[in-house]
Amino acid sequence: MPFFKTIRWVVWKDLISEWRTRETMSSMLFFALIVILVFSFSFSMDQDAARQLIAGIIWVAFTFTGIIGLGKSFTSELQNDCLESLQMCPAPKGAIYLGKVAANFLFMLSVEILLFPLFVLFFNLDVIEAVGTLLIIFSLATLGLAAVGTLFSALTVQIRAREVMLPVLLLPLAIPVMIAAVEATRGALSGDPFSFYSQWIQLLIIFDIIFTVVSFWLFEFILDS
Amino acid sequence: MINRIIRQIQRYKGWFGGAAALCIFLGLYIGLLASPPDYYQGELVRIMYVHVPLAHTSTMAYSVLFFGSIWYLWKRDPLVDNMCQASASICALFTTLALITGSIWAKPTWNTWWTWDPRLVSFTVLLLILGGYIMLRRLVDDPVQGGRYAAILAIVGGIDLPIIKFSVEWWRTLHQPMSFSTRGVSISEDILVPLTLMSIGCWLLFAYMVMVRTQILYLTDLLHAKKGRFLSQTHFSQTTP
Repeated sequence: MPFFKTIRWVVWKDLISEWRTRETMSSMLFFALIVILVFSFSFSMDQDAARQLIAGIIWVAFTFTGIIGLGKSFTSELQNDCLESLQMCPAPKGAIYLGKVAANFLFMLSVEILLFPLFVLFFNLDVIEAVGTLLIIFSLATLGLAAVGTLFSALTVQIRAREVMLPVLLLPLAIPVMIAAVEATRGALSGDPFSFYSQWIQLLIIFDIIFTVVSFWLFEFILDS
Repeated sequence: MINRIIRQIQRYKGWFGGAAALCIFLGLYIGLLASPPDYYQGELVRIMYVHVPLAHTSTMAYSVLFFGSIWYLWKRDPLVDNMCQASASICALFTTLALITGSIWAKPTWNTWWTWDPRLVSFTVLLLILGGYIMLRRLVDDPVQGGRYAAILAIVGGIDLPIIKFSVEWWRTLHQPMSFSTRGVSISEDILVPLTLMSIGCWLLFAYMVMVRTQILYLTDLLHAKKGRFLSQTHFSQTTP
């Protein structure tokens, strides 16, 4: 099967199964809501404190919900031995990886876009001018998380204690994404000029490129058995 | 049939152990007793002769793990996998010791046990990645699959560690510059001799420990293969003439 066609089919397959079950997105959304509530109880913030902390809170919530989505991405393949079918499928493994990354990216980004208005509402943020920049930051950071996360989701799905091992392996490696995303989001939310935080966006782009390429290459060794 | 390299290790590892003991003994003697105290730090500087070599050795151990993992994914030599597994656990040991001695040194000089210094953060992350590596190896039932997965983790970690160090450095310098830089002093010969001796000693100690551990892991795998527990039998196909 040609490369790009495979990517399209993998994305399409994931979107259809998500549309029919609505499992991943709904669990991500509910989990994220709970995280937001827990944060607002545990900090009891006033306006100033909220402005200081909000970027970190947003990214903790997004990362944890992202991990739920990433974990589901391959555990759902365990039913009816779909994983083995993917392994035996005569398609390039890299295309399967890119398809999975694209599907995970879409799930994570749509949950983030749905959640962000709630942050604005609960923490009284003023975001009208920054929406465009924030969307770019969210997309880049989510792509970075999805690129590494899909690799480790495929890796942990075949081992014991997979629910624990995915965050244990993924979070230390995602530190650059976390730092860059938090700093860029803070800059955008506090209305700094773009040049103040553009370096963090550059870091996100560099991370995305490096880890998409590296994971693309390494993914073959995971599905190969 | 026992692998040729394992036989060589059996023959020569003693020399590495002996040389490591000699270098560390001499280095510790010169560093702790014979060398003069530092102008700024006084006697406190002496922990450097332990801390810096440990930290160097742990970064070197991770590079062994990193290149060994690439080699393993490329050639699928089970002996290389054993060596990677050995260097990962020993790297974790050296990293932990480097963090502990660094913390002991930081208390009197920086007046705190812990600070979010880029080097401290990247060493902690290194330790976390190694912990994940060791856990991952225990959680996979098929050893061949486990070796492959662990190699993937080590490669991703090896590429990520410089980026982590760089991003943390950037993050800290934008927030608050390091208030102390006690190591800005140019190194004199009194310091250089014991430091070099200790570094070489630690490297040799690492090499010796990896040799012993690789040998143990290889022989354990071979024993399992002979008992027929090992379905893939990779060691047989590698070792039978």
